[in-house]
Amino acid sequence: MTETVLNAEVLVLGGGPGGYSAAFRAADLGKQVVLIERFPVLGGVCLNVGCIPSKALLHAAQIIHEADEFADHGVSFGKPNIDINKIKSWKESITKSLNDGLAGLVKQRKVTLIQGTGKFTSANTVTVETNEGIKTVHFDQAIIAAGSRPTKIPVFPHEDPRLWDSTDALQLTEIPKKLLIVGGGIIGLEMATVYHAMGSEISVVELMDQIIPGCDKDLVTPLARRIKKQYKNIWLETKVNSIEALKEGLKVSFEGKNAPESELFDAVLVAVGRKPNGLLIDAELAGIHVNEQGFISVDKQQRTNVNHIFAIGDIVGNPMLAHKAVHEGKIAAEVIAGHKAQFDALTIPSVAYTDPEIAWMGLTENQAKQQGIEYDKAVFPWVASGRSLCLGRKEGLTKILCDKETGKLLGAGIVGTNAGELISEAVLALEMGADAEDISLTIHPHPTLAETFGFAAEMITGTITDLYIKK
Amino acid sequence: MTNLVEIRVPDVGNVAEIDVVEVLIQAGDIIALEQTVATLETDKASMDLPSSASGTIQQVHIKPGDKVSEGTLIATVLATEDGKSIPDPTSTSTVAVVAETPIIEQKSEPTKILAQSTPSPKQPLPAIQTSETTTIKAHASPSVRLFARELGVNVSKINTGSGRKGRILKDDVKNFVKQALTEGTTAGGAGIPSIPAVDFSPFGDTEILKLSKIKRLTGQNLTRVWLNLPLVTYHEEADITEMEAFRNTLNGEKAKGEVKITGLMFIIKALVAAMQQFPNFNASLSADGESLILKKYFNIGIAVDTPNGLVVPVLRNVNNKSINELAIELAEKSEKARLGKLLPNDMQGGCMTISSLGGIGGTAFTPIVNAPEVAILGVTRAKMQPVWNGKEFVPRLMLPLDLTYDHRVIDGAEGARFMATVRQYLVDIRRLLL
Repeated sequence: MTETVLNAEVLVLGGGPGGYSAAFRAADLGKQVVLIERFPVLGGVCLNVGCIPSKALLHAAQIIHEADEFADHGVSFGKPNIDINKIKSWKESITKSLNDGLAGLVKQRKVTLIQGTGKFTSANTVTVETNEGIKTVHFDQAIIAAGSRPTKIPVFPHEDPRLWDSTDALQLTEIPKKLLIVGGGIIGLEMATVYHAMGSEISVVELMDQIIPGCDKDLVTPLARRIKKQYKNIWLETKVNSIEALKEGLKVSFEGKNAPESELFDAVLVAVGRKPNGLLIDAELAGIHVNEQGFISVDKQQRTNVNHIFAIGDIVGNPMLAHKAVHEGKIAAEVIAGHKAQFDALTIPSVAYTDPEIAWMGLTENQAKQQGIEYDKAVFPWVASGRSLCLGRKEGLTKILCDKETGKLLGAGIVGTNAGELISEAVLALEMGADAEDISLTIHPHPTLAETFGFAAEMITGTITDLYIKK
Repeated sequence: MTNLVEIRVPDVGNVAEIDVVEVLIQAGDIIALEQTVATLETDKASMDLPSSASGTIQQVHIKPGDKVSEGTLIATVLATEDGKSIPDPTSTSTVAVVAETPIIEQKSEPTKILAQSTPSPKQPLPAIQTSETTTIKAHASPSVRLFARELGVNVSKINTGSGRKGRILKDDVKNFVKQALTEGTTAGGAGIPSIPAVDFSPFGDTEILKLSKIKRLTGQNLTRVWLNLPLVTYHEEADITEMEAFRNTLNGEKAKGEVKITGLMFIIKALVAAMQQFPNFNASLSADGESLILKKYFNIGIAVDTPNGLVVPVLRNVNNKSINELAIELAEKSEKARLGKLLPNDMQGGCMTISSLGGIGGTAFTPIVNAPEVAILGVTRAKMQPVWNGKEFVPRLMLPLDLTYDHRVIDGAEGARFMATVRQYLVDIRRLLL
């Protein structure tokens, strides 16, 4: 074992989307960058055990559902033959190709990559335990991008291989006959979609009174209706009291308004949120304040209480989303390079890749009501969208909220096929300060799902012809 | 009958920002019509704002240091009589604020799932702060917001954008900065070294006295003129012995209390008569310096010394007014100036300015042109002097005159000829009739 000492103008701790974006941006701005990542591949949770693999599996699920549902319309494929090993290796080939791409970008930018777990030892040093021994990096400025991990509930038997977190669920080692999903948020419901398609019998338990808490109820309803038919149970306002590992399965007992009797499951996925990694990096040795949950507070320029150390992504606060982290990572790098960057985005869009997808941005209707903001609302039902009907689906909705006085877009939510792709137009409209008139005067191609955003705006301006709205 | 009325800033001329210096009312006060509610100060004058209603003050909407303009709500009054103020329906408007990013619980967090709960699960998370509430009110795209940030401009301070629907464009940000630069500098332009600060304490006690706003802005304006205009001052003398004799006769005929005619009135008339013969003196240079804007009206500014600083009320259409009318008008305006009651439009539209120190003394000085005017006439005290009439020295009352002009517009010989003309009129005021 040897000890190596390196210097870095900019040290980035963590190679997830936020971290590598920060490292690349800093390198592009002429900084000499050292990037520390504990895993052998870059991309973090998102690329390796999060967004990307889950989307691969969700695509497989979508194929299975679409093929099945189209039997009614004249095309039958018969019962699907599912080879989970093949799906798994396809999924892995996707992440590998992206990992390789990132490795190439690291080389092209001459970023020094150190694999190992980095921890602060002072306000200007980080030590990394690597396979080749301890490496110490002296840095001028640092960006903490150490991310988050799934929240574990201490009393649950986590050592039991049948008790999963999202990482386990994405491994696709087996298709359990009966799967309980604890937590009706985005991650839980995405995994429910995958395993339901693969043939598991799904039950979901959620503490709040709706799935995807935080999203407007009207946007969640089409999804709730659909999965109510597909899944065995959806228990709202219910919590899990205990999980007992028995030979024949995991015995789960519930508590709450709609609590069922205790029941045996072949696997239980715990998806109750994520915990920031702020307490795992010895940040206090650098003088950085970390709260007891593990979050690090930053200003609009992503600066921590220590002037030359920045933090970005999951570790600085919710929402824990890759696109937020990437945006923040670039800001931190630019501030370090002397630019007057700061977090100035008006919204961070959210997407649930369920079936149907749900996406929203800006002000939600719940927030508008809470804050007493006067708004005009329009909800365009996709049952009037030719494109949606041709896809065999009619439950979608496009909702927009506009300022009552100025007509300016305040928020938008979409539920339906490809909602996650469609929301970007609304985000751009919000950032550009568009009002309902601007949106309705923009020609949307026909027939598309995207035109439902234009239709919703026309409902506000009163110019819609695709619906009849009595005055 | 009681009803709620609003006191607003009246039309005070073309002035965008007026500072609130003092607020003389508070909620609960009973005020009468025309009672002063606040003291406002523009770059040229301070003024007392009279109440447009009588009654009980419900709410005061301004505080010292605020910037107001025409129409700004000053106070709400529970009127006792027929308060004249008309409620304005556009008084307050709800401005939507989307600034706070929705804190999305991406992963639902039923932490209470535990029988033994984890430590304080509902402690507020440090949400990332997106933008100031002001950002959303500004109609500007992300790239313009970035550009503004780079230049240190708060976009919400840019009132109107030139784009569609008032969108703020990069050019608007640039213009905002340019404007701020020209307005904001106190002394010195680019490349001009400033006067270094000196610690006076070794030499004795000092006291810091804040300059009045008028003085500060006058100073900025004079510095700007000093740096931009090539100034020449030409000195002349006029024999006003006859003029003074005539003036004394006139004043002797006036009843008690009537406004007396001062020598300045004749000087104003003589100046305008000369300006009619020399149109270049009644002109302004265009901003690009390429052309001369000739004025077809004859307004003369008179520099007035007030406790708050120098102000220049303007006498309009001097060519169409009699000397008596002008005497009355100037007396009124000077009084208003000294009381700080001049309105901005009382001080706009001058063609040439007269700065008279005659009441104090002096033999000559070099006044600074009140740009965009092109010339200024300085006057000091007339003095009885021995004048050689060809045979002998005779006592004559001689008035010293100083003409400073913008040499880009006025040539030296033209200046001399102009002053010779002014002198001729003063020496024999009958010529004003011709």
